[in-house]
Amino acid sequence: MRKALFVVGLAGLVAAAVVTAAVARPAAQAAPAQIAACTNVSLGFLGPLTGPAGFLGQEQLSWLRFGVQKYNKAEGTRFKVVLGDTQLKAPVARTVARRFVSDRNVMAVIGGSESQAVRVSGKLFQAASLASVSGSATAIDLTKGRPYRTFFRVIPNDAIQGPDIINFVSRNLKARNVVIIDSQDDYSVPLSSAIARGLRARNVNVGRESVAADDTDFSSVVANVGSNVTVVIFATQVATAANTLSNQLREQGKRAIVFGTDGAYSPSQFKPRSGYVSVFAPDLHFDPRARAVIREYRRFVSKDTSGAFGPATYMAGWVAMSAIERACADGTATRAEVVRQLRRTNSPSIIGPNIRFDAKGDLRGGGAFVIYRITNGKYMAIR
Amino acid sequence: MDWDKLVQLIVNGLTLGSVYALVALGFSMVYGILKLLNLAHGDVLMVGAFMGWGVLGWLGGAQDPAVAVWLLIVLMILVAMVAGGFLGVAIERFAYRPLRRAPRIAPLISALGVSFFIQNSVLLLFGANFRSYESFDLVDVEVGVSWGPLNIWILRIVVMAAALAMMLALWILVTRTKLGKAMRATAFDREAAAMMGIDVDRVIVKTFFIGSALAGAAGVLVGLVFGSINHFMGFGYGLKGFTAAVVGGIGSIPGAMFGGLFIGLAEAFSVGYIEDLTRGRLGSAFSDLVVFLILVIFMLVRPQGIFGKPEVKKV
Repeated sequence: MRKALFVVGLAGLVAAAVVTAAVARPAAQAAPAQIAACTNVSLGFLGPLTGPAGFLGQEQLSWLRFGVQKYNKAEGTRFKVVLGDTQLKAPVARTVARRFVSDRNVMAVIGGSESQAVRVSGKLFQAASLASVSGSATAIDLTKGRPYRTFFRVIPNDAIQGPDIINFVSRNLKARNVVIIDSQDDYSVPLSSAIARGLRARNVNVGRESVAADDTDFSSVVANVGSNVTVVIFATQVATAANTLSNQLREQGKRAIVFGTDGAYSPSQFKPRSGYVSVFAPDLHFDPRARAVIREYRRFVSKDTSGAFGPATYMAGWVAMSAIERACADGTATRAEVVRQLRRTNSPSIIGPNIRFDAKGDLRGGGAFVIYRITNGKYMAIR
Repeated sequence: MDWDKLVQLIVNGLTLGSVYALVALGFSMVYGILKLLNLAHGDVLMVGAFMGWGVLGWLGGAQDPAVAVWLLIVLMILVAMVAGGFLGVAIERFAYRPLRRAPRIAPLISALGVSFFIQNSVLLLFGANFRSYESFDLVDVEVGVSWGPLNIWILRIVVMAAALAMMLALWILVTRTKLGKAMRATAFDREAAAMMGIDVDRVIVKTFFIGSALAGAAGVLVGLVFGSINHFMGFGYGLKGFTAAVVGGIGSIPGAMFGGLFIGLAEAFSVGYIEDLTRGRLGSAFSDLVVFLILVIFMLVRPQGIFGKPEVKKV
């Protein structure tokens, strides 16, 4: 009797498991083709609104909201923005991404702002046919081999930034001894390694150092920087860290200057006496042709502390809204239709030539990075 | 041998070590009296750092301070100490005192809860953005003492001097005052001290106030010398301060001072030399490996620490 009960129980369990496996699907695949009525459409914002890179996300969000308000006014639409704070942490980004996937009003995501956020959300978005358009994720592997088919970016990638920095440091700065510091994350380690390889190929002596992403003291790392080193390349996503590094170099009497990668771009936080920073889009504040946009933006915000991150995200939002509107031409749209429309994007841009995507989701033609020279905290575009 | 680098690493290590020593003192004082690991101690440091940042902003900020820089720094430290002290007293009153007769695991769990509570409260109040003291604007990094190729920023000297002064003041308080005698008596035998007429509760409150005030001051010193603060900074400094207290001998005040400086120097030297010593296999990122390896070794080999005495139980 006991044996029979055991067999029946076991059979029941197996049957339950088979039925569950047949019925259940991953959460990300639960709503691959939801149809929106186009009257209540949202853009999800996936970026670091708090945490060490909070300044970056706040700037992007502010420009995104500016763009949404402007677009709604011009086109008579009613787009909204739904916030998703990644805190610069990949697991948090994944949770936020899941929320966007399950929110039927979200028809496109603006972001992830950081490459690691794209890595953890890309497959989820792809499974849900949800488009994501980033204005700052630059890692090469995000589009190499098209791992995330619904991912697009309106800025050039590190395949452009790396060689740009290599050329500038070896040719313009004529540096022979360089130290490269990474911050132990998915963004900075591959970029640092690529730059190190490129510089070594040009017979530049390269030293490597590594710090944690949330480190605030670099004085002992600076002690390792030799007196013959003229440039310290810091691949970081924390502008205050680049500022501290630069000051601690000066404190220890080192002549090396800091060359920050795009994550360090912040005229309000990275203010070395002398240094450089490369960034994927021009800071419109320094561009006389962009005076009208900046004036309009300043009317929108109470305090303009923006730099180069905001305008690119403004454009990411703009192309996404245009694609959704085209997809909504018949009154309803699916997420897949939005992705299809994004592929056909050909939009004038406030940060450069028209935005058109190639088959991988990158800018057609690649785009170019801008390099700024910083003197006593003042930024000047030199390339 | 690169002597300039060696001397520079000693300066860096002593700066860091001064902060760890202040944190370790708080751990040691509380452990000495209550045999309790106050795991929320690092978060008191963090609150102190935020109080200092608030005073800095209130007095015009680093670029345009309303008062002289020295006065500004003194005010920041004082406010942080008072706030830290009262926070410590509140933690003792509400999280530890009700559990004084409970099994030892109970206050430990309560301490963890308090730590998360403080961390998240600050997150709620100030957000998770890194806040900058902008101390490089307050005092230029080239202002300091130059000695050959070595340059020591004046704020580093301020940090080391302030930490040393506080440690000495504490040492005098513990060894030369009535309160100090009461603290030592309470640490030695709480019940006997009570029978001798010592108000043990009051001594415990004062101990928490003093230890937490030191942590509050340490928070401002961190902000001043490294420039930026955030709501989770307390965890790292708390952990290193605890390590310093264990290495020095938890419960021993000279041990906490020594342990702090030892751990600070160990961290600086490991960043400076780990790559050379491991022939490039490990980089500067692994300095914490060395610090916590020291903790493990001490726990295994000399759990009472350098200045601590082994616990003897009469059987």
